[in-house]
Amino acid sequence: MTVLALAGVTRVHGDGETAVHALKGVSLQIAEGELVAVMGPSGSGKSTLLNVAGGLDRPTSGTVHIDGHDLAAVRDLAALRRRSVGYVFQDLNLITSLTAAENVMLPRELDGVRSRKAREEAMAVLTEIGAESFADRFPDELSGGQRQQVAIARALVGERRLLLADEPTGALDTPGGDEILRLLAARCEAGASVLLVTHEPRYAAWADRVVFLRDGVVADATDVPMVSAR
Amino acid sequence: MSIRHGLLALLSRGPRHGYQLRVEFEASTGATWPLNVGQVYTTLARMERDGLVEAGESDDQGRVVYAITEAGRAEMERWFTTPVVPSDRPRDELVIKLAMAVAAKAVDVAEVVRRQRTATMRTLQQLTRAKRDVTGGPAQLLVLDSMIFQAEAEQRWLDHCEAVLKEAR
Repeated sequence: MTVLALAGVTRVHGDGETAVHALKGVSLQIAEGELVAVMGPSGSGKSTLLNVAGGLDRPTSGTVHIDGHDLAAVRDLAALRRRSVGYVFQDLNLITSLTAAENVMLPRELDGVRSRKAREEAMAVLTEIGAESFADRFPDELSGGQRQQVAIARALVGERRLLLADEPTGALDTPGGDEILRLLAARCEAGASVLLVTHEPRYAAWADRVVFLRDGVVADATDVPMVSAR
Repeated sequence: MSIRHGLLALLSRGPRHGYQLRVEFEASTGATWPLNVGQVYTTLARMERDGLVEAGESDDQGRVVYAITEAGRAEMERWFTTPVVPSDRPRDELVIKLAMAVAAKAVDVAEVVRRQRTATMRTLQQLTRAKRDVTGGPAQLLVLDSMIFQAEAEQRWLDHCEAVLKEAR
């Protein structure tokens, strides 16, 4: 089943002579359980792609479907975003005055879930990813890798099965970054779908499919079979 | 490196027969360097000739057990204390290929880079999958990590080539 589908997506920032064509017709589908990595240099359009895919930005033309819903036709986009999509950013955006568990509970409480149930759900996802031992600590008391685990738990809590991650390995060292990718890959095996933006080849390599973005177009992808001529 | 140094390292843990050495060698290198038992025995015979190992009694299945000698320990020590120099490695065909693609002028270098980058990423994906599935110890993991770092370096270098060539156009 296709969880995310972009078809002929373009995005132009500004207009006239100063217009920037960030995306020039990108089509991309992500199936249930699939981990897809988008690689590209800065300015290739990868952050715009992620924002458009998650409904944080609207395409100039083309369509975006999440779980079969056309984002242009959805009446309450904020609600769809909250229920269907989780985000993990480089700058983690954990709330420092809340514990790890409270951070994870937050999106569910915003959705009107009672706090006892929200806590149960938060603890379930934290346990799933092996982070239950620091559930009651504050972000300042956690390592960089642990904070990123909490951010991933927050992105997955509740019914959400699509996770959009923008350079989630941030400033982590190599084993720490590998752990985050191991976690994302395990979540995909459990049925989630992940769209990962990275400029690090070693992390992109964890994906089922790697898409190379250049100047707003998909230049290549690893799912096209090709003969090796080395 | 030579197989003999690898065998000396394994024998430094205690006497072993050839088949056992082969199994342990592959377990340590994550089967990235397959050895056949014949290679192991020929190497052991030469090492015995050079005084690096001693052949002992046969076990109940008729297999000869080898032990490391003082000279063998000294040779192993020398190997571990001597850094490897880059000139020991073969020339990289890809580097030559790209240099020649640029020199040939009629070749679409960007296309050569693009194809190679996708192929290298596939290799990197395979290595990463192998790493996920590793059941052996840290020796196996570190061998895979080395290959991952090399593929990653190649990928970065290809990105660099693309950027430099784009500037030069």
